[in-house]
Amino acid sequence: MGQFMIRFLFRRLWVAVPTLFLVITAAFFMMRAAPGNPFDTDRKLPAQVERNIMAKYGMDRPLGEQYLTYLGNVLQGDLGPSLKYQDKSVLDLIKEGLPTSAVIGLSALTLASLIGVLLGVMAALRQNKLIDNLAMTVAILGVCIPTFVTAPLLVLVFAAKLGWLPTAGLNGVRSLILPVTVLALPQIAIISRLTRAGMIEVLRSNYVRTARARGLPEHRIVFGHALRAAVLPLVSYLGPACAGLLTGSLVIEKIFSLPGLGKSFIIGALQRDYTVVMGVVIVYAGLILLLNLLADIIYALLDPRVKLS
Amino acid sequence: MLRNLFLISLAAFVLTGCGQAPSQRGPCPAGKMCLELGNQSEPVSLDPHKTQGTWEDRIIGDMIMGLTQDDPAGRAVPGMATHWDVSADGKVWTFHLREAKWSDGVAVTADDFVFALRRIMDPKTASAYASLLYVIENGQAVNEGARPLAALGVRAVNAKTLEIRLSHPAPFLPELAKHHTMYPIPKHVVEKWGDDWTKPEHFVGNGAFKLISWKLGDRVVAVKNPLFYEADTVCLDQISWYPTTDSNSAQKRVKTGELDANTDIASNKIALLRQPGQMPDYVRVNTYLGTTYLAFNNHVPALKDKRVRQALSMAIDRDFITQKLLRGGQKSAYSFVPPGVANYPQPATAFWGQWPLVKRQAQARALLAAAGYGPGHPLTITIKHRNSADPMLFMPAIQADWNEIGVNARLEQNEGQIAYQSYRLRDFEVADAAWIADYNDAMSFLYLQQSATGAQNYGDYNNPRYDALLKAADNEVDGLKRAEILRKAEAIMLDDAPIAPIYFYVNKNLVSPQITGWVDNIVDWHRSRYLCRKPKA
Repeated sequence: MGQFMIRFLFRRLWVAVPTLFLVITAAFFMMRAAPGNPFDTDRKLPAQVERNIMAKYGMDRPLGEQYLTYLGNVLQGDLGPSLKYQDKSVLDLIKEGLPTSAVIGLSALTLASLIGVLLGVMAALRQNKLIDNLAMTVAILGVCIPTFVTAPLLVLVFAAKLGWLPTAGLNGVRSLILPVTVLALPQIAIISRLTRAGMIEVLRSNYVRTARARGLPEHRIVFGHALRAAVLPLVSYLGPACAGLLTGSLVIEKIFSLPGLGKSFIIGALQRDYTVVMGVVIVYAGLILLLNLLADIIYALLDPRVKLS
Repeated sequence: MLRNLFLISLAAFVLTGCGQAPSQRGPCPAGKMCLELGNQSEPVSLDPHKTQGTWEDRIIGDMIMGLTQDDPAGRAVPGMATHWDVSADGKVWTFHLREAKWSDGVAVTADDFVFALRRIMDPKTASAYASLLYVIENGQAVNEGARPLAALGVRAVNAKTLEIRLSHPAPFLPELAKHHTMYPIPKHVVEKWGDDWTKPEHFVGNGAFKLISWKLGDRVVAVKNPLFYEADTVCLDQISWYPTTDSNSAQKRVKTGELDANTDIASNKIALLRQPGQMPDYVRVNTYLGTTYLAFNNHVPALKDKRVRQALSMAIDRDFITQKLLRGGQKSAYSFVPPGVANYPQPATAFWGQWPLVKRQAQARALLAAAGYGPGHPLTITIKHRNSADPMLFMPAIQADWNEIGVNARLEQNEGQIAYQSYRLRDFEVADAAWIADYNDAMSFLYLQQSATGAQNYGDYNNPRYDALLKAADNEVDGLKRAEILRKAEAIMLDDAPIAPIYFYVNKNLVSPQITGWVDNIVDWHRSRYLCRKPKA
């Protein structure tokens, strides 16, 4: 297994490098193809000043040259200065934003996995009974109601009316409760549905029937045998979902005024802050590659039929 | 097991929820007076030479003070300069500086001002706002790299005397001198740290507060500067500025007391908030130095005809837009310069400004008919507009107003940046634009329609009489005579109708009644050195 694993990891990394390269290239040229530039505002700059600014950021060079320079800098770990936030480098921005986004994202994911799996298992065990219908109704609502609706609603109830929790801002753990809950709700919905589907399928399989026939107690069948196989689809879902949650959510960060990475990314794109968008894309792509790899490894560990190849 | 889990989570929820009544405000040292201020956006920089936004100057202006400063009502009063002398031709200004210190204890000198002004005009700094100071002798030439920095018309006569030479008399210089482009910066600190001088660990200012931290997307925090020359008059010990991009969320935070004020209110919320039981004593609305207008492209054949432009402008029902749609206290505009602007006692108005709508519509139809448009041959025109909240709200109303006089109007919405870019390229027929003046003076509005303004004179309006009057105003030393010349110029321009003013902006602040010292004003500056927070009644 060890030898397989090393060979597998090596091969995946080998593929990851060109993937990342392609992502950077596509993002670079797409960003530049968007109309406008970071220095376009309602105030027109004098031509000379505009030329000076362009020269300062190397944007007066041919696009191909800019691209090569950028690639070279990225290889040396330099993501450049932010074109809008002039006192900060892109690395500063990521260093300041990523931890907040990651804490919120990871908490939401943990919460969602715990509740989602629990709901899914309960629904599968009582298929088409009251509890199943109830759980699945909750799940459908969770997917259907967007976060920009649930967030203000929860704020209205728990912050404005009851005054239990802060409305927004980042002041201690209490201020994380609402954003984490809002972010977790749709994930609970998806995870519970995935778990339910997986569980129902597994509960009908031969090896579960065998376990039942041999008289194993129900909780051992469910948690010891069935669940392990039932969460497999979940594992492949969680990889990319995790990357998405870790890098932040615009809606959550905007409504709760949180200093995360999601806001930087969207605002960066709208303001054509090329370097910031590129920086976040690189982090996001890197995380997806890494977490997908992790998901595949976990998959193999959970399911002996899968070979790392 | 499920039941246990449920009970545990319920207990956890109740414990976190119903514990001791928590303070939802940011941390504040015991016994200190802290202000929590919603500041709309994230500052792009804390270097006054690199910023353009009001939200940045709200922070920087509390930490750095220019030759003049804002009084509580936003008027220019002596700041670092105690007084100044002006030469007879109005072109040489001599400022006498007070004894003041930077927050690191070093004395503020005329050298710091010379250093700062040269730095902002230096082409290498590439400051986007330097053009505001072209009024300084050789300003433009230095900024464009044609003359050396030393040629700039500023000089330290001695440590406490600063001389500024202008290219033409400018009675608005005291207004301009409190703008962040003219702030001094600490020469000794900037020379040591370069562009990193604005980092919290290096930052040095001469204002009432000094920077201690800045976390992007979270908050900027400053504390009282004990070395400020009037530190004993400052009430607040600490200010935190929060980027509150979502004004609805900020409004809730002000209501719960997490924030003391927010510098914006969603337009469509003002009427609701003013109702009893909502937040009537929080809402502060005042005329602002800004105008929303339509620009007519002079290169479009139909719009070359003055009668067509006048008809289109006349037909807009501005009161419907301000009173029924925006409802935020905005005023209908029949001139380009808002009422109450400094050095401009008697604004001009369009000749039809006082007419009732029905009469204006009749006249507009007559003008269109005279220009050759009518039921058989209707004028078809496209308005390009920004897709931000307010234009999205009132553009359909203008479209309907124009349909009413037989014009086929089409709307085309664009992202703000893209809209402005196409205006600059003259790729539009009618453009929706807005202008906020840089400083409190009529010229800060009227120069937009000058033919030499170039890109930002979107419609390429060109009337030699208008240009000549603006130039004459620039060379007039007497303030009242200058105002009269500017008024004449505006009247000519309004009659030519290269633009259709729609409404004047208002500044909209949501301020807790606990905050004292807040005075509503046209420039919307409320420096924290005058503010205080009284305990809850």
